[in-house]
Amino acid sequence: MKRILEMSHISKAFGGVKALTDVHLEVNEGEVHALLGENGAGKSTLMNILTGVLQADSGKITFLGKDYYTPTITQMEEAGIAFVHQELNVINDLTVVDNIFLTRELTGKFGLIDEDKEVQKTRELFESLGVKIDPTAMVRTLKTSEKQLLEICKALYTDAKLIILDEPTTSLSNEEIDHLFGILSKLREQGKSFIFISHKMPEIFTIADRYTVFRNGTFISSGDIKDTTPKDVTSDMVGTTFVDADMYEQRELGEEILKLHKLSGRGFSKISLSFRKGEIVAFTGLAGSGASELMQTMFGVLPIEGGSIEYKGKKLEGSIAHFMKNKIAMLPSNRKENSVIKDLSILENFYIAEHVLSFKKQIIKKSVEDERYEQQKKTLRIKAASSSAEITSLSGGNQQKVFLAKWLNTGAEVLLFNNPTRGVDVGAKAEIYRLILEFAKAGKTVIFNTLEIPEVQKIADRCVVFYGGKVAAILDHKDVSEKTVMGYSTGINTQR
Amino acid sequence: MKKTNNLTKQIGSFWAHYSYIVVMLVIMIVYAITISANGSSFRWSHITAILSSQNTCIIGTMAIGMALVVLTGQIDLSIGSSLVFTTSACIVVFNMTNSILAMIAAALIVGGILGLINGALVGLAKMPPFIATMGTMLIYRSLSLSVVRSMDTAISGSTSSQFAMLRSNSKYDFLRFSFGTGKILSIPYITLVFLLMVLLFIFVTKKTKYGKSIYAVGSNEKAAHLSGINTTFIKVSVYVVTGLLVGVASVLQACKLGNITPASSGKSYEMYAIAAIVLGGISMAGGKGNLLGVIFGALSYTTVNFIIVSIPSLTVDIQDTFQGLVLIIVILIQTLSPVLKEKAQIAKRRRLAESGK
Ligand SMILES: Nc1ncnc2c1ncn2[C@@H]1O[C@H](COP(=O)(O)OP(=O)(O)OP(=O)(O)O)[C@@H](O)[C@H]1O
Ligand SMILES: [Mg+2]
Repeated sequence: MKRILEMSHISKAFGGVKALTDVHLEVNEGEVHALLGENGAGKSTLMNILTGVLQADSGKITFLGKDYYTPTITQMEEAGIAFVHQELNVINDLTVVDNIFLTRELTGKFGLIDEDKEVQKTRELFESLGVKIDPTAMVRTLKTSEKQLLEICKALYTDAKLIILDEPTTSLSNEEIDHLFGILSKLREQGKSFIFISHKMPEIFTIADRYTVFRNGTFISSGDIKDTTPKDVTSDMVGTTFVDADMYEQRELGEEILKLHKLSGRGFSKISLSFRKGEIVAFTGLAGSGASELMQTMFGVLPIEGGSIEYKGKKLEGSIAHFMKNKIAMLPSNRKENSVIKDLSILENFYIAEHVLSFKKQIIKKSVEDERYEQQKKTLRIKAASSSAEITSLSGGNQQKVFLAKWLNTGAEVLLFNNPTRGVDVGAKAEIYRLILEFAKAGKTVIFNTLEIPEVQKIADRCVVFYGGKVAAILDHKDVSEKTVMGYSTGINTQR
Repeated sequence: MKKTNNLTKQIGSFWAHYSYIVVMLVIMIVYAITISANGSSFRWSHITAILSSQNTCIIGTMAIGMALVVLTGQIDLSIGSSLVFTTSACIVVFNMTNSILAMIAAALIVGGILGLINGALVGLAKMPPFIATMGTMLIYRSLSLSVVRSMDTAISGSTSSQFAMLRSNSKYDFLRFSFGTGKILSIPYITLVFLLMVLLFIFVTKKTKYGKSIYAVGSNEKAAHLSGINTTFIKVSVYVVTGLLVGVASVLQACKLGNITPASSGKSYEMYAIAAIVLGGISMAGGKGNLLGVIFGALSYTTVNFIIVSIPSLTVDIQDTFQGLVLIIVILIQTLSPVLKEKAQIAKRRRLAESGK
């Protein structure tokens, strides 16, 4: 087995925060290497160091027999490393093709860009990978999952020896993930290596060959996947024995609070559903099923094209602020584009939504805001040094927790969560599930959109499966299983 | 070793947040040197001249509005022409009514309306700000021009294609002399108005929910929208606020100079205002910057002008070249210094790492 990458004695601090302390990582040729750890463990930071995005304070990188100390991005690209970042980095104002060929355009006569050839190549690439995206579409019009696929395709298109995938599957459906794994296996046989970062255990045990675990910026363990169990690596990650307890309990639900009556909108039509106080409902469906669009319409982001939304018997229609005033909140998908306000601090990102509701009282009382933040920080276990730090200084999972906190802070009665545990580690995930159950017990209605069926099984009272803009099935808690949901969401089964 | 490290860190963070103060001090020192090189000595009166210059107060007041507009990621090219239009209006109202209150009200109302027109074009009709305000820039000035030529001189106050305040009005002396050129503790009143406005808007941007929404819209409009912020309202409102500030500036203009010439007054003021806010450390990309910077930016900009004028060998023709050069150099220092610092650090680490292994 040939070793292609060796990172040794790597340390990195941001100001006073030690992100990595003397860690090491070895990757062999033709393997998928899982890099594991809780939110803020230092996974993305190490990858940023490997690819020259950040510079280590000390340590050495050996890639394909050559030593690097503080390489530049171009150096590592040329050495043969491709990087799919945790947050999407596509350019919305260019076409799919232009994104793929950016900085390595195919040229024809007179050095002009040969667009036809590029489109042709992209078609072939997408076909071989089984991706159904129009190469000439503007990236702006793509769904989040399609953007993620585009990023992966872009990395696979290079002739890199080592491809880093930092949480590549967070907005992909099971089907798309299976497909991706098929491709990875094929490339692995051709001798390519992958560093694969994910918080989803089943995934890791399906695709990875070896693993490395970090905790709080230090190296904990490394080995063959076949010699370990999900339970053991999770314990390594969290530092104590982790019990994945079954937490669902049947509850007495309250009266009907929110009702959709023959609601039509972009990507779905004539949906009638009703939700009760204290109920937890999961929406699920593949890209194009309309589940995400429905959720956005229920928050005033997309327009109502027919039918109505009724909250406590009152019709709701209008601006997002109007929905917020009626005690509805929505955590959007695609954190970087839809949530992160990069020039505002953590605290400012936290209070910005609540301020829309309390806009009449213009003056900000920092002490009050800090108190509210600290409270949420404690319940959600947000790992952040100071509330005045930049939001982008937080790890992905901790950013997600700040945005959960932001919406909880609005005092909403109906919480719409689009992919709420995206990029959140196992411990914190369990924490968020526990919180959702608690909100429900306190009488709040939680509707969440997810592609992870285990998540649905853990907490949802009901699961609504969407297919082609219609409700394909409404399943009770006890009837939810990967298989039934799969059947309905691919249109193989129909309930009605 | 540790102590010096801490000190450099502190200096570094001061530079990152307040580089515009350092920039102003350096420019002041250069000014002092050029003055002594010309045989006179640098005095307090030189500083008050900078403080009371119309570049500082009038352009500075309008630059506050420009800063807000730029923070939301937009631009307003019409402020110079708006100043002409509002000043014309407020002088006419003064000439007709001899009332200070009516004059101020006219300035604010007309300024606000001009701003609202800009805001409506950009925010409601969704036109690109650059184009929309370029259009109104042409319109506002030419409207004033065409009116001044046809207006009764008893109302316009002048026969020479100008609007001028009527000396015969009883409030004239108070406005022009007691207020317009008056001072307290050697600081002119009109400078105090400018400083007051900056303080007000520092408060608005730092301590109010409206202010934070401005930053949010400029930093990530989509995320701001999804947080419930009425982004259209914010984007329109900053133009209206700018219009109101132009109104304030036009009262200062009227009181300081007593007249306005539609054909030539206020030309390129939008560019000067942009220069002032950029010198004040506000990012043209939106979402980033501190309103305190506007004070220092305006002072820096005025001082640069004074330096140029104080060098006798610079002819009028070449003055703009110097102005442009200074601007480019200062911005270059501000944008390049973090890059260079990072490069130096990397090089140092690389040397250490390679010699160690
Ligand atoms: N630019 C930065 N400035 C300050 N601190 C940072 C910066 N980037 C990362 N950190 C800190 O370094 C630590 C490691 O972050 P990193 O993003 O590597 O975590 P991660 O393992 O990728 O977590 P996640 O699973 O949540 O993505 C965190 O505590 C984070 O707050
Ligand atoms: Mg990460």
